[in-house]
Amino acid sequence: MTENTEKLPPKERMKIPRQSMPEQEPNVRNSNFQEVPLGLTEEQALLEANRCIECKKAPCIPGCPVEVDIPGFIRLVMDKEYAAAARKIKETNALPAVCGRVCPQEEQCEMVCTLSKKFKPVAVGYLERFVADYERENDLVQLPEIAPPTGKKVAIVGSGPAGLTVAGDLVKLGHKITVFEALHKPGGVLVYGIPEFRLPKHIVQAECDVLAEMGVEFQNSTVVGKMDTIDELFEMGYDSVFIGTGAGLPNFMGVPGENLIGIYSANEYLTRSNLMRAYDFPNNDTPIIEGKNIAVLGGGNTAMDAVRTGLRLGADNAYIVYRRSEAEMPARAEEIHHAMDEGVQFHLLTTPIKFNGNGDGKVTSMECMQMELGEPDDSGRRRPVPIEGSNFIMEVDLVVVAIGNSSNPLIPQTTPGLDTNRWGNITVDEETMETSRKGVFAGGDIVTGGATVILAAGAGKKAARAMHAFMMNEVASQV
Amino acid sequence: MKFDSVEQILTFAIGKEQEAADFYTDLAGKMEGKQMREAFLEFAAEELGHKKKLEAVVEGKVLLSSEERVVDLKIGESLTEVDAKPDMGFQEALMVAIQNETNAYTLYKNLAVATDDSGLKDLFLGLAQEEAKHKLRFEVEYDDFVHQEN
Amino acid sequence: MPKVIDNTQIGPQVWKMRIEVPRLVAKAKAGQFVILRVNENGERVPMSIAGLDKENGLLTVIYQVVGKTSALMTTVPDSGEISDCVGPLGIPSHVDNWGTAVLVGGGIGIAPIYPIAQAYKEAGNKVHTIIGARSKDILFYEEEHSAVADEMHVCTDDGSVGHHGFVTDILKNLLDGEEKVGMIMAIGPVIMMKVVANLTRDYEVPTWVSLNPLMIDGTGMCGGCRVSVGDKTKFACVDGPDFDGHLVDFDQLTSRLGAYREQEQAAMKRFLENPGCKLAEAVEKFAYPS
Repeated sequence: MTENTEKLPPKERMKIPRQSMPEQEPNVRNSNFQEVPLGLTEEQALLEANRCIECKKAPCIPGCPVEVDIPGFIRLVMDKEYAAAARKIKETNALPAVCGRVCPQEEQCEMVCTLSKKFKPVAVGYLERFVADYERENDLVQLPEIAPPTGKKVAIVGSGPAGLTVAGDLVKLGHKITVFEALHKPGGVLVYGIPEFRLPKHIVQAECDVLAEMGVEFQNSTVVGKMDTIDELFEMGYDSVFIGTGAGLPNFMGVPGENLIGIYSANEYLTRSNLMRAYDFPNNDTPIIEGKNIAVLGGGNTAMDAVRTGLRLGADNAYIVYRRSEAEMPARAEEIHHAMDEGVQFHLLTTPIKFNGNGDGKVTSMECMQMELGEPDDSGRRRPVPIEGSNFIMEVDLVVVAIGNSSNPLIPQTTPGLDTNRWGNITVDEETMETSRKGVFAGGDIVTGGATVILAAGAGKKAARAMHAFMMNEVASQV
Repeated sequence: MKFDSVEQILTFAIGKEQEAADFYTDLAGKMEGKQMREAFLEFAAEELGHKKKLEAVVEGKVLLSSEERVVDLKIGESLTEVDAKPDMGFQEALMVAIQNETNAYTLYKNLAVATDDSGLKDLFLGLAQEEAKHKLRFEVEYDDFVHQEN
Repeated sequence: MPKVIDNTQIGPQVWKMRIEVPRLVAKAKAGQFVILRVNENGERVPMSIAGLDKENGLLTVIYQVVGKTSALMTTVPDSGEISDCVGPLGIPSHVDNWGTAVLVGGGIGIAPIYPIAQAYKEAGNKVHTIIGARSKDILFYEEEHSAVADEMHVCTDDGSVGHHGFVTDILKNLLDGEEKVGMIMAIGPVIMMKVVANLTRDYEVPTWVSLNPLMIDGTGMCGGCRVSVGDKTKFACVDGPDFDGHLVDFDQLTSRLGAYREQEQAAMKRFLENPGCKLAEAVEKFAYPS
């Protein structure tokens, strides 16, 4: 690698292989909760950054749901200006340390990377993580400039990625921000849903600490809808409200036996382990059932998180039981591979129809059926159909239902005039994210149903822009 | 119940569609939430649509086929029975609808078995297929939203 | 971090904690509950509301020492702090004028029955309150309840005070008597609520019970508190905690409450073995029942 990187022609850059992320060995990491990917070394980061051929069109930018200036930040990495690179990302994405870890880059920026046509794409995610970690670990986080106070107050309900993004964008513009969080720690799904081995909690806390330093007030253990309603927030003097309460209602199968001991929703299982640190019981008081033969129902990231957690808690056999085929699993390919390498066993085209228990009310097995994909329906999708007579018994002592989440109904139920669709998702204007209630905006999973961190962040950006315009126009018209 | 003619069967089936429409309209009236009310009114309207189709069959404008293969996701078979209650959510509303359509489908299948007349048998099977389509429509929605990640 | 005004032992196993949470108290109603966390490593535990001092913003909870967390709660000093107190959670108890209402409080249930009795009285009901405990030692709140109820009835399993027998004995007498009972509200150990519901089902008197399943978040997010009511699964934290006693599957609730028995026993044992723990001796008396 030459020192003067501008001189390296694209052909030479394309010869640099895509850097591999160093990781804990599968048989070591499947019994600890430390982070699995260890992060690129500086040397690797520089090599990787130099792979970017800085193409004119930069398809990676529109490939990103929030249009981070990817070539821009990579250029700064090439120049060894890592903290500046992190700041460049933060111009559009407030959570690079999180997104660098959990974004499905392979479906976004990296999928459309020019290099991906003939070679492997630039590892945008690894680089994003590298610079964010570098900035934080070397105490180089600079607070952005805050505009003079506008006198406007904003209430943000929910401190997940959508709410945190709105908070970050609006506090910079001089508004007074209060984030109301129902749980005792901020971060939402980042802290209760995603395990330590994929997203260390100190990173989430660090992001919230930065926001607090910028002047954002966090009121944890405060449930809007029970303590104060949205209407009461307006009465308290807030000028606009953002609802980012997430997909916090677990979907259950609806088959017999689902209330046996040992059958958890993924939300409960992961909240016990991640937020309440039950993986470190009894140093932490919240217990969790440590099953020996565990079945996780579902094929999304949540299911992968749950099954890998179960393995780490000492399961001899950890199964993924998924109704459809591998091609249809919504989880990130990377996480599916991590799970396979760690020893998770996959039972595809399989679904339980009944749970059986013993005299103590504990689950002991589930009756399953094999499925096959039927004819495509009107939507063109082939759906799973049970195969007659394929019933079989799977011995299990722990089941985690990770089939999907719906929107938590508390806010819609306590906010008259707030329209939702029949699935409980709040309906919003696509551009402004405003709901059917004036001055009330919403984004993230509560609007879309379960989706990604980056999409929630993107929704937060749109909402923040619209909320600022909404609040300031009011002032303008008074003048 | 004994059926001797095509007319008799179709009259019965048309009555059943009206019954189903009334069932859903009735449920709509009992729902606490606006969304559930609207959902059930929609289901009721769909049943009236089916009724219209059968009336068109009577008028000879439409033919029912018993040949068409309709996918059966069999989602209803493993679900616990749901009683319609005013505070039910959409997942339960779909379970109620799936149960309802499954009952109708089974009814026509049984009637087909019970008759020796091949013409009437065909008609019953055609009606069963119609119910199978209605059932599939609800099962697909259930599959999409309850099993989002399954 | 919420301030604990005082934390007083009011019986051999029963403690009373008053927490300063003015905004919560202003919004809370009888029948609701809160979730407490004592410290950073602590569990989130649900506690029924036993008293609301709206003037001073003080919440009263009454708890029994049955495990590590409740034992830990006793160590919080007057003018101390706990990590979190979140609420008010759950749906408030339904209050109406039914003419004559009977409230039944068994064991620790004597506490949450109190604000509900107050609400029933304010709504114009003639209030019969039945409180029962294993023995006189464990009974508490007699004065408070007397002040509210039109008629107070006390019973103990061992006959040390009041009627020698169970709350259902007294309840049956009332139901067999001249007064028409319009509503019954029962809170106490699961077996007590089950027995009350079985009794009143024959008399066809509407009966509410307040359920106490294990909980984590308390906002309907996890389903850990799910209970079977009729043929439906409900979340006690958002659909309850009050439910129609004639439809509740009490056996399933009892079973699910035992989900962590082994871990709870291990945690309590570890807590008692902790050399620095000044509470160990006192708590040892209330060793977790096996």
